[in-house]
Amino acid sequence: MRVVTTDVAVIGGGAAGCYAALNLSKRGLKPLIICKGLVGKSGASLFAGNLVISGRALGNSEENARNTAEFLIKYHNQFLIDQSWAQRCGQFIEKVYYPELEEAGLYFRRDDSGEMVTSPGKIRSIAANIQGNSGVPFMDLRRKQIIKAGIARMEETVATALLRNSDGSVGGIFCLNYLTGEYMVVLARAVILATGYSDRLHIRSTGTREMSGDGIAMAWRAGATLLNMEMQWWHTNDLAHPPSWQRMQIYPNPMLGSEKSARILNSAGKEFFNQQKDDPLAFGPYTVQLKALVKQVRAGKARYEGGYYAGFDNCDPAEVETYTTYAKTFHQLGLPFPATMAETAVSSHYRQGGIDVDTNTMRSSIPGLYAAGGVGGHSNGLIGLATYDGRVVAEGVVQDIANLKAPSVSQSAIDAECLRLDHLRSSFGDGSTPAKLKEKLRTVMWEKAGVEKNASDLRSALDDIEQIRADLLPGMKISNTGKSVNYEWLDAIDLVNMIDVCELVIHSSLERKESRGPFIRQDFPLTDNDNWLAANILKKSGNGLRFEKRPYGLPLFAPGFSTKDNLEVAW
Amino acid sequence: MAISRDTLTAVAFAVDGRRIGQAEQHDTLAERNLRFKPGDVLAVKVRRSEVPAGSDIYQAFEVPYQKWMRVLDALNWIAENAAADLAFRWFCGSKMCGTCAVRMNGREVLACWEAVEPDMIIEPLRNLPVIRDLVVDRTRYEEKVASLEPWIERREPYGAFPEPLTHKQMKDASKALDCISCMCCYSACPVIGLGNLTDFAGPAPLVQLGQTALDPRNSPEKVRRSLEQSGIFNCVSCYKCEEVCPASIPIVSRIIEPLKAKAAQLVPEMAINSFALREVVASRGRVDPTELVLRVQGLRSLRNPRRIWRLLTRGKINPIRTLLRLKTAAAAAASHLLRDGTGKS
Repeated sequence: MRVVTTDVAVIGGGAAGCYAALNLSKRGLKPLIICKGLVGKSGASLFAGNLVISGRALGNSEENARNTAEFLIKYHNQFLIDQSWAQRCGQFIEKVYYPELEEAGLYFRRDDSGEMVTSPGKIRSIAANIQGNSGVPFMDLRRKQIIKAGIARMEETVATALLRNSDGSVGGIFCLNYLTGEYMVVLARAVILATGYSDRLHIRSTGTREMSGDGIAMAWRAGATLLNMEMQWWHTNDLAHPPSWQRMQIYPNPMLGSEKSARILNSAGKEFFNQQKDDPLAFGPYTVQLKALVKQVRAGKARYEGGYYAGFDNCDPAEVETYTTYAKTFHQLGLPFPATMAETAVSSHYRQGGIDVDTNTMRSSIPGLYAAGGVGGHSNGLIGLATYDGRVVAEGVVQDIANLKAPSVSQSAIDAECLRLDHLRSSFGDGSTPAKLKEKLRTVMWEKAGVEKNASDLRSALDDIEQIRADLLPGMKISNTGKSVNYEWLDAIDLVNMIDVCELVIHSSLERKESRGPFIRQDFPLTDNDNWLAANILKKSGNGLRFEKRPYGLPLFAPGFSTKDNLEVAW
Repeated sequence: MAISRDTLTAVAFAVDGRRIGQAEQHDTLAERNLRFKPGDVLAVKVRRSEVPAGSDIYQAFEVPYQKWMRVLDALNWIAENAAADLAFRWFCGSKMCGTCAVRMNGREVLACWEAVEPDMIIEPLRNLPVIRDLVVDRTRYEEKVASLEPWIERREPYGAFPEPLTHKQMKDASKALDCISCMCCYSACPVIGLGNLTDFAGPAPLVQLGQTALDPRNSPEKVRRSLEQSGIFNCVSCYKCEEVCPASIPIVSRIIEPLKAKAAQLVPEMAINSFALREVVASRGRVDPTELVLRVQGLRSLRNPRRIWRLLTRGKINPIRTLLRLKTAAAAAASHLLRDGTGKS
């Protein structure tokens, strides 16, 4: 078995992982990126549609700057955020992020006279090359920066376990290159998890194929503290068909160079969301849309799986097509644009929660283990935030590296992981395939832990998941015994992680006895700031798990009410 | 909300390079998306890399149609219901990661983007080694891109955000930035298909290079060094790459041709064939193969008498005609256009 030694192992090749690796390398440490997909070509970063202007950058007014911060804290995180981290992040985006990206060659879209094209509204944004596709050139640039810096990367390689040193700290990872079927051990003084926000735990999800909660599952098994695992964000207007397009979004954000943008109609053709009218801060109206949809579903005028429609029929098609990619879907289906409103559905999107970190260093609760970007539980997603985490974690590791031990992982842990994976590859039962079991698990999550939740459905979901774990997993059937490019095997490895993460999500959902933003409990409809303006902290204990609460500080913005019906709260 | 078939077929259909022939055959995107009903069955054959002895390497499946079905949905259906061991790569399912390209009925398509057809033969991309089933090894491409060093080097230090730059200056680079490196063009390129006979980088690496080489912020010295590694004049401008590009990038007209122009300017020795051809046409009003060969290869061309004989007997060259340089109207016109007109030789 190949054993590779490096200073820092970075798991994940998105915005946070790449930027962490670049910063570590600049600071003289040797990072190694282990990416389950391809660096810059998998994970959520690729989907960045537009880029928010924070602070006073690009002629932002004081008011714009304040709105951006308010948006992040209220609408993106429903106050479940370290506001001082948010403030530092905003400063980074204004002072470092944009100049650095542009210096490296990222092209922010101008018009022919050289003016930067921005979206209108109370919060402004720009795009890399074209709105809707900003993540593509952005992450392509990162990929090239990684190549240019000579940073080693292992792609289409899945990390399957964190390896611990004798003192309990993390000293490496076990991984599998699923193209070759080769096992590898990476020994490192520090391990950074940067596995992203959007795991495919529901039947409809925005995450890329490979995202199966690996980072959360590995961290949990190693004993890391998690938080806010229930805080699931949703896309309200992704295409209802075909299945592979469940992430193809009718973008609801304000459009570059236009005063107009998308709207949504219910099954009777009546408008129930219009970005210009219904989006109070005029940016990223995801939760606002979701709440409007919940009311439609309750009135029988839409379903979470479809039966409502979104599009740009109120817009000038030339405006839509000049600076955005938003018409591409309609054209590809041969549908008249902008006259057609396409049937849309809900997809689970980012998870606000994740691994609990110290936001000054991105240290997790386990020495040697760090988390950056979406897998951390300190904020919901934007590519700029994930990037900032990449810098903070690099600084945290640089600060700690002298005190981190040289790896001393035990051979028995390595042998045990080999055995576990070998065993999964030889699942010759007469039951379902790993792909079918994944689908079953996602269906349970969709039906019993979907947009609207209640205690009895959640408990029933736990029973279903226990049945998958105890009865169906042992009888799983894999037809391909080969090691090379065996996606069945990979599905089996994913499934084990997904089962663990789904259970944690459900336990956390049961624990938060309120509704808050996109987290909607039918049995607890009120947003309860007296009791739940707090992190829902999940710790591993001897006989399972236990919860703790940690209130959030409110130095910049506060909700200004004690309790209120969540569907009537703007954010 | 319902849109009738009639309304859709009446939609004006813009013909561009990628759609030539489709309009005439009424093969519009609207048609292709509306010809199925739910419950229709598609006949799909997938090329496998390992099959038991005696069985067909093209494995056949019957796949039920789902609304607006893409090729990727058909592959997913097969993997979930008929052949769990089928290997194919995809990540995003929405035309961004560029990893799911395959050949469908002999044409390169992005599986997540292309509508299914009633009968489909699905094969891996060409010009890249197959690892298993539809999964190809992208290393050859990645190494080429890395060798071109497609990043910018500034002559002047960067000032402040935002730096002065117009979209006009970035027009071609901006097209190149739509690239999702899906390898459709690389698979369709006949010159890449020649293997190591040429040092041609291929369309996909050139588009990657175009992102920075056509960016006015890049130093000409850096662009020159990259272009020297590109073998760009091996491109035969056949437009196959442009025809298959799912991102609709005008690869030849907006990337390769502008790069060739840059190469001619920055590394003139690479463009010797082009300069010679232009000179021959400017002076004669037609292509004279004898002079072209002499100009490009010089006296080296005389070292192979057997080939000269073959060319002579087959009428490919005519030295007498070459020596008798006739003043024709075509020559005058060509000279006017190429020497005195817009493009000065």
